[in-house]
Amino acid sequence: MIWQLDLSVLTLIVICAFATIMVKDLLSAAIIFGAYSFLMCLLWTEMGAVDVAFTEASVGAGVSTVLFIAAVYQTSRTVKPRKSGRGLAKIFALLATLLTGLVLLIAEADFPGFADLSSPASLHVSPYYITQTLHDTNVPNMVTSVLADYRGYDTMLETVVIFTAGLAVIAILRRYKKDQPFTPPEPYILSKGYPDTIIRFVARQLVPFIQLFALYVVAHGHHSPGGGFQGGVILGASFILLAISYDFKTVLGIMNEKWNVLLGNLGVLIYAGIGFLCLGLGANFLDYSILSKVLPATDRVMARSHGMLGIEIGVAIAVMAIVISIYLNVVSRGKYDKGL
Amino acid sequence: MTAVVILLTLAGLIFFSATTIGILRFPDFYSRMHAAGKGDTLSSLFMLLALVLYNFHEINLGNLLVAMKILLIVVFIFMASPTATHAITDAGYESGVKPWTKKPEEESP
Amino acid sequence: MDSFFIGTGVALCLLMLLTLHRAIRGPTAIDRIMGLNVIGTKTTILLVIIGTIYHRVDMFVDIALAYALLNFIVAIAASRYFQHRKNLNPKGYGFRYRSEGEK
Repeated sequence: MIWQLDLSVLTLIVICAFATIMVKDLLSAAIIFGAYSFLMCLLWTEMGAVDVAFTEASVGAGVSTVLFIAAVYQTSRTVKPRKSGRGLAKIFALLATLLTGLVLLIAEADFPGFADLSSPASLHVSPYYITQTLHDTNVPNMVTSVLADYRGYDTMLETVVIFTAGLAVIAILRRYKKDQPFTPPEPYILSKGYPDTIIRFVARQLVPFIQLFALYVVAHGHHSPGGGFQGGVILGASFILLAISYDFKTVLGIMNEKWNVLLGNLGVLIYAGIGFLCLGLGANFLDYSILSKVLPATDRVMARSHGMLGIEIGVAIAVMAIVISIYLNVVSRGKYDKGL
Repeated sequence: MTAVVILLTLAGLIFFSATTIGILRFPDFYSRMHAAGKGDTLSSLFMLLALVLYNFHEINLGNLLVAMKILLIVVFIFMASPTATHAITDAGYESGVKPWTKKPEEESP
Repeated sequence: MDSFFIGTGVALCLLMLLTLHRAIRGPTAIDRIMGLNVIGTKTTILLVIIGTIYHRVDMFVDIALAYALLNFIVAIAASRYFQHRKNLNPKGYGFRYRSEGEK
């Protein structure tokens, strides 16, 4: 907590938030919202929440702004002017906003201070995690162990939520043509789009590094910030970069729709399957320590570490497939013919 | 060592200030793009080199890894930032932004 | 030395504020993308600076690396947008609604 940086970044965030609401051009609103996401990541880093900041970094820089631009590309860029003569509604909305703000300000007074040692959360739960995580699970990054082991149910259902979001996007947007059978494009052949050599060359050089870095984030999540979700988003962002810089069909040639949906299923299935494996071996659902019966040469502590790695891989696969699927559906209106 | 770190950081800040002044004051899109693309890349090189030197105070494996990662950031910024500049300038050219000229008859097409 | 880096961070935030002025008021959308790109580079450096202040750069440098790798995707996507839809109309895309007469 560095109060000088805190104050400056918060000022910038408030300015960004107001500008995002006030601007009438939707593309500009998406871009200013990207700047807001950068600043949010800075604020979280500066408060010490490194894992949250990593999530914001990967999602904000790689995926969310691109998805906004794709949505604006397929819909409309301007806001319809609102009809005048709604004075009463405006006054009512202002009153409701002020009242909510007042209630929130009153409730804020009851919160414990930042990093207050005598607050209830710091008295009962946190000391256990801080002192016992390394002893229990052999994972130095306690955020990973809390997310994947102690609170494994939460994370599993979050993965299911992401999976459901992908399914909903497919169900709403995807349109199959009946008379034209889908001919898969030949992989690695560049179609005539916008032959921009510089962008293509740099993207070709950078995509392997991005994917390698994503795998590092997944595998190294036990020791540093990161984990399955962040790694999966970065993997998906590398495919989005391919789809933007090369062509829509290039990505479809590497990862077609059937495989994509299958991978999304497989990721959730890995997570739930590890849980059911623990159940079948005679322990509770997602209690990885029982996996030492199956895994060779591991004691109960190392089994928890390996179980976490397994579910991180599942989350990464699911998130990658869902991110690619959402992008492809949004940018082509579900027709899968051409994108940005 | 500390003097070098401070010198490099100040150099980076000076170039960043020049970039910002260029972004704010230049008259048209292309010249602003010129300021943003060049000054940004060079000043990030200076500041990250300063941070590498400051973090590399004693030689061990962890410090070496951190220094390598920061140098990798420099490499990726040097690849990605000019590409982004090129892409944005290309977008402006494709959508027909007129370059700024001093002659008054060309200002109003 | 820590106070020097805090001062550097605050100076970077100030420069970011000036860039944000261009990103918000910028006459066209591509000016805003340019501002976003510059803010992204400054964010990358500020992340490493914050790590240096906390003396744990090894925890913070991964986030900066992610930004360095992913920062230019938005710029490329926006440039593709303008290659498809060439309506870079500076009128009516600001902070007010389009009036009836303008197209």
